[in-house]
Amino acid sequence: MSGPDDGRYVDPELGLLLGEGAAQRIAAGEAREIWRDVAASLPAPGEGPTYYDRPVLKEPVWIWSVPVYFWTGGTMGAALALGGAAQLAGAELRPFVRRCRWVGAVGGAASAALLIHDLGRPERFHHMLRVFRPTSPMSVGSWVLAAASTLAGGAALLGRRRGLLRGAGDLAGLGAALLGLPLAGYTAVLVGNTAVPVWLAARRSLPFLFIASSMSGAASFFDLGSLRPREARVVRAFGIAGKAAELAAIAAVESEAGRVERVGRPLREGVAGALWTAAKVLTAASLAATLLPRRSRRAGLAAGLLGTAGALALRFAVFHAGKASSRDPRATFHQQRLPSCETSTP
Amino acid sequence: MAVGFFTDTTVCIGCKACEVACKEWNQLPDDGFHFTGMSYDNTAALGASTWRHVSFVERPVALSEQLTGLGQFSWLMMSDVCKHCQRAGCLEACPTGAILRTEHDTVYVQPDICNGCGYCVTACPFGVIDRREDDGRAWKCTLCYDRLRGNLTPACAKACPTDSIQFGELDELRERAARRLAVLHERGVGEAWLYGADAASQPGTGGLNAFFLLVDKPEVYNLPPEPVVPTHRAGEAWGAMALAALGMAAAALGSVLASRSGRG
Repeated sequence: MSGPDDGRYVDPELGLLLGEGAAQRIAAGEAREIWRDVAASLPAPGEGPTYYDRPVLKEPVWIWSVPVYFWTGGTMGAALALGGAAQLAGAELRPFVRRCRWVGAVGGAASAALLIHDLGRPERFHHMLRVFRPTSPMSVGSWVLAAASTLAGGAALLGRRRGLLRGAGDLAGLGAALLGLPLAGYTAVLVGNTAVPVWLAARRSLPFLFIASSMSGAASFFDLGSLRPREARVVRAFGIAGKAAELAAIAAVESEAGRVERVGRPLREGVAGALWTAAKVLTAASLAATLLPRRSRRAGLAAGLLGTAGALALRFAVFHAGKASSRDPRATFHQQRLPSCETSTP
Repeated sequence: MAVGFFTDTTVCIGCKACEVACKEWNQLPDDGFHFTGMSYDNTAALGASTWRHVSFVERPVALSEQLTGLGQFSWLMMSDVCKHCQRAGCLEACPTGAILRTEHDTVYVQPDICNGCGYCVTACPFGVIDRREDDGRAWKCTLCYDRLRGNLTPACAKACPTDSIQFGELDELRERAARRLAVLHERGVGEAWLYGADAASQPGTGGLNAFFLLVDKPEVYNLPPEPVVPTHRAGEAWGAMALAALGMAAAALGSVLASRSGRG
């Protein structure tokens, strides 16, 4: 650890590594590029100064597994909610209820794995349940995910039992359904509760987008398998509602984020902009396939594939928009100005 | 006892002794050796292993009552640091409880608890805290927690040759800052003002334990003009989510009910 190539230049024969930052691990021989290349942009008329166009904020350090989790968590949340509703309908939808519970249980395990993979110290994943901090949407979400997955798993295992165990399973199923509601939407609150300009600006419309996309994602996921006629009708109605709401919410996010031109820019440009457009096109195509009057197996499969791709593209678009937005100092300055309070700024 | 820093940028000479003292005392690794080509600032930004950063601003604007041989020109230098906000975005975002407020009223990351989730990185409106990729955890200024326990002045303030970085009890620092501001105004430096000195002037953070005396807009120093801790506005997002969740519940129940009739 210590030695001439740990970036500290402390000779272990002469000095002890006991400082506050002494435990910081460093990859040997690697010079970190902290002056990242940032495209210099000329100030538009009326725009204020910046510090050599350097970003104010640190870019989110999250990797691909986080947007994938936004999708798996949303899909399982919406599936659990739909399963809870179907549970109230009686025996005919019973197999579908079990399927929803299994989506919740398997989705929960996959979600946990994705989130742990993103951690800087994965072996400390259980620290997430060390405290409950209501001011942190990530803390709230960790508890919701843990509880919803556990209940969904229990309900799935007890789904075929009779008597008391079945009752316990149904109770767990209802609990999981109730927790599925926040599970599908808290991730939007999580990204809205940051200093990242585009996420912060769209904090009121993003929850609608994430929940609508979760409905679309769950319906699309069920479309990929074979469904009995009544199950197909449930999924179809749920999917139409979700996809239509998603298209409306996309417009709402665009308008909320776009109130300041520069803040909404990542949704129109670059990787995030392309993904955002792809999400719109794929979701609209999936909706069209769902609305076809005579539904064949192939049309259902197409709707499912398009919808799944659309839901995934949407989460990646929001994720990359945040990354791009955090690099823009002017967007940050716009967002960090309270219209209601005046400071003594000259 | 609440302690903090008062950084008077008008006397900073940009010597970077604070940066060096911080790295040395805390035994932080180097960040590689870079030439930014933009100014004398080759440190570029605060980061996981850079807890003090001196920014250099060359302005084509003269400072009031200052004579230069170059005409319309002035240097601004500022030693930036974690602000140890009264309402800290990182602390409120931390899901593990790794970030806490100490007995000195400072904000501290416990390296043995942090699991590197990265949420604090997005929650800081100043872009201070960062996760070191090769280490996996989030790091920032501790306000020399170990030195405070031994009744020592933090390394940066101790090393500052011009008293630009002043350490002390927060109440006393505020008085000192007000006196310094009055002196500067009296001398005709009307553009001098205090950034984040208390909750009244910066409600979004509840005031900063490390506050600054500046002579230009905050943006010039890469500081957000009116920083707001994200959680201030989280209620709106939770409310929207509750509404959307109700909508999804209604859609789920409606889909199941409508399927009974035999028509989609």
